[in-house]
Amino acid sequence: MKLTHTICPSCSVGCGINLITQKQEAVGTYPYKRYPINEGKSCKKGRECYGMITEEKRLLNPHIKKTSLVGSNWDESLNLAVSKIKSYEPEEIGIIGSGNCTNEECEILKKFATSLGAENIGYPAGNFPNFDFETGNLNDVENSQFILITGNVLKEYPLIGRKIILAKENGAEIITIDYPQKTTTGMISDQYIQTESIRQFLDDEAEKIQTKLNESSLILVSKLDNKEELEEFHQMAAKSNSKIIPIMKECNSRGAMNILPPLSEDELKTMINGMNLLYIVGDDLASQLGETLKKVDFLITQSTTLNQTALLSDVVFPSACWVEKTGSFTNITGNTQKVQQILPPPGEAMDDATIIMKIAEKMEIDL
Amino acid sequence: MDSNYLLARAKDEDLLKKGECGGAVSSIFQYLLDSNLVDGVLNLSHGEDIYDGVPTLIEDSKDLVQTCGSLHCAPTMFGDLIRKYLQDMNLAVAVKPCDAMAIKELEKRHQIDSDKIYKVGLNCGGTVLPITALKMIELFYEVDPDDVVKEEIDKGKFIIELADGSHKSIEIDELEEKGYGRRVNCQRCELMIPRNADIACGNWGAEPGWTFIEIVTEKGREIVENAHKNGYLEVKTPPEKLVNIREKIEGVMIKMARKFQDKYLEEEYPSLENWDEYWNRCIECYACRDVCPLCYCRECDLEREYYSDSGETAPDPLTFQGVRLSHMSFSCVNCGQCEDVCPMEIPVARIYHRMQKKYREQTGFIAGMSEELPPLFSPEKE
Ligand SMILES: Cc1cc2nc3c(=O)[nH]c(=O)nc-3n(C[C@H](O)[C@H](O)[C@H](O)COP(=O)(O)OP(=O)(O)OC[C@H]3O[C@@H](n4cnc5c(N)ncnc54)[C@H](O)[C@@H]3O)c2cc1C
Ligand code: SF4
Ligand code: SF4
Ligand code: SF4
Ligand code: SF4
Repeated sequence: MKLTHTICPSCSVGCGINLITQKQEAVGTYPYKRYPINEGKSCKKGRECYGMITEEKRLLNPHIKKTSLVGSNWDESLNLAVSKIKSYEPEEIGIIGSGNCTNEECEILKKFATSLGAENIGYPAGNFPNFDFETGNLNDVENSQFILITGNVLKEYPLIGRKIILAKENGAEIITIDYPQKTTTGMISDQYIQTESIRQFLDDEAEKIQTKLNESSLILVSKLDNKEELEEFHQMAAKSNSKIIPIMKECNSRGAMNILPPLSEDELKTMINGMNLLYIVGDDLASQLGETLKKVDFLITQSTTLNQTALLSDVVFPSACWVEKTGSFTNITGNTQKVQQILPPPGEAMDDATIIMKIAEKMEIDL
Repeated sequence: MDSNYLLARAKDEDLLKKGECGGAVSSIFQYLLDSNLVDGVLNLSHGEDIYDGVPTLIEDSKDLVQTCGSLHCAPTMFGDLIRKYLQDMNLAVAVKPCDAMAIKELEKRHQIDSDKIYKVGLNCGGTVLPITALKMIELFYEVDPDDVVKEEIDKGKFIIELADGSHKSIEIDELEEKGYGRRVNCQRCELMIPRNADIACGNWGAEPGWTFIEIVTEKGREIVENAHKNGYLEVKTPPEKLVNIREKIEGVMIKMARKFQDKYLEEEYPSLENWDEYWNRCIECYACRDVCPLCYCRECDLEREYYSDSGETAPDPLTFQGVRLSHMSFSCVNCGQCEDVCPMEIPVARIYHRMQKKYREQTGFIAGMSEELPPLFSPEKE
């Protein structure tokens, strides 16, 4: 039995956890109380994150589609992928990374696309756009006098939720905006603005709220209906000298954003519709875009598990989980945290960067 | 070795030097590993610094030097680690009183095999949460926490030692009044000397460079005697004066703990209205249950009732904590783990500690100490 520090890969807060391993296998997690972000506290997703490593559907070797998806080896699958990539023009190739990829993997993927001349590249970012304004940090949440929240932060990002609770215990006023349904965050708020859409709030009520904002306020944006809305919240913050933290989903959403173009669901659809070959690294796109993906001629996927996207693919490369590789994640407050390799990848799986380089090598691209 | 009290210190120079007091605890571990009486030792190593205690399984006695010394900013719990991962092993473990209490309850429920485990107890005056310690050292000691080479709690003070050998200390009371210092459950904890382990080791009543050992069980006597006979441990009898001093400190500490119990479990116990507010923020994450060393029912009723109900709002508090209340509150050992890990800052341990106290008053059953199971225990819950 051995305990090793790592970062929780389950959301963008970037909590620290201790991974318990036994005979080179992940068996559990243990509170990591020395970690400043979460002080040993974690949510269910965090405590159970080791399940990603031991998941039954882990891919152990490359697969290619014959009539159905069958096991293959690295040589055959790489050759197939490479010959296909070579057979299309760069304009016909789409490349999609993920907010779950490390910063280093995003970099390599981008370099690969650039060398190939493929300009259709990005990662699924929900409704969050690229932004480069300064964001608040977690202590700012705790020390705010007034907090404006969109979405159910307590439930979805509990370890920021905790900071909201601490602020509340210090006397802060909390106002939450969300769709008309009961949420935990709504319930602990002084005022719960239930709205049909974020747009509606911005049009009808933002002005009133604006008068409450000042330099000891903070805006936490975890829910948006539309990319453009973030800038409006940013303006609200800028006008009042309040702090702002956009809360994106994945453990490296913020890091990926600095490297790859963020794409909304609609943008992804449009992009994919124009492509003949799609190369997806680390995201289970089929869960939201299954029908769109089916129209693509040739689909290459790197995935840790045999998920929906892998099942639709023509070539699947088995990739490593976060503790099976070394790299870094940038959390919502812009903190870049290292992750160290604790376990070897299972079977013939390799980390995403290595797989990308293997493809590049076969294509005689120098990365 | 007729007396149950003795002073002991390591024969091994490194262990003597690195040990908290006389390095006796580490020497006993060394003896147990070298003579193959155990396959492993479970204790703490320093992770990134002295605020980062990482539970570590030592299988080679040469590695024991890395685990010497007491970490007062490491509120760890060993009970569930042993139950889940080390059950098959012959094991020696360094236990704070709360670790020993949890292990005792698990032994009674056949979750840990008492024949396979040596419990080397450490007296305990309390632990500080690491991040609390960092903040407190910056704020009140005006010292960069990275410059601290050692910390300890002694004579009612939290003392830090800097690299240049100088010390700074502040009364624990003063820190605790301001919301720092030991965890609140530790403030309430009245088991200072783990007489539920095989031996209880500490600095109370010890001469400098020696560890004071109280032998509790026959097994405890055997390992101390044999560690001595086999040249791992030097021992001598403590002067009566020291034995009395130790007893006196213990008495004072217990009195203090009871005062804190009154404060936190009665005078300042949250009102129903406060609890309503607390339960409103509960996110049903089960962290409190998963970390509780006594919550091990395979198919927890909570899961059965609520797993499918992934609703956006908090669960009904009465049913949710109610299941735990009826299953294990009689046996709560006040280890504070549930409260430590609750992401919503709900003082959950207070409920269970209060329950166990009331139960104890009525039945005499003391969780973690009594040899029998709580009178209301129903085995089909396992
Ligand atoms: C949190 C804490 C509070 C204490 N308070 C008192 C007190 O008030 N009065 C008193 O008389 N004695 C107290 N002690 C005991 C004392 O500090 C020594 O641990 C004891 O005297 C043994 O000394 P040694 O040199 O023989 O131990 P060592 O040979 O140095 O061995 C100590 C062992 O304890 C393990 N350990 C260290 N920290 C922890 C921890 N947090 N939890 C579990 N295991 C740990 C180490 O890994 C090591 O195996 C306390 C110890 C701890 C850990
Ligand atoms: S809040 Fe996010 S990072 Fe923290 S434990 Fe939960 S899922 Fe992991
Ligand atoms: S609960 Fe008691 S035994 Fe456990 S760390 Fe706190 S004071 Fe020590
Ligand atoms: S209820 Fe809390 S304090 Fe009591 S034994 Fe369980 S974790 Fe420890
Ligand atoms: S740990 Fe806290 S938030 Fe989670 S279920 Fe327990 S009481 Fe609720």
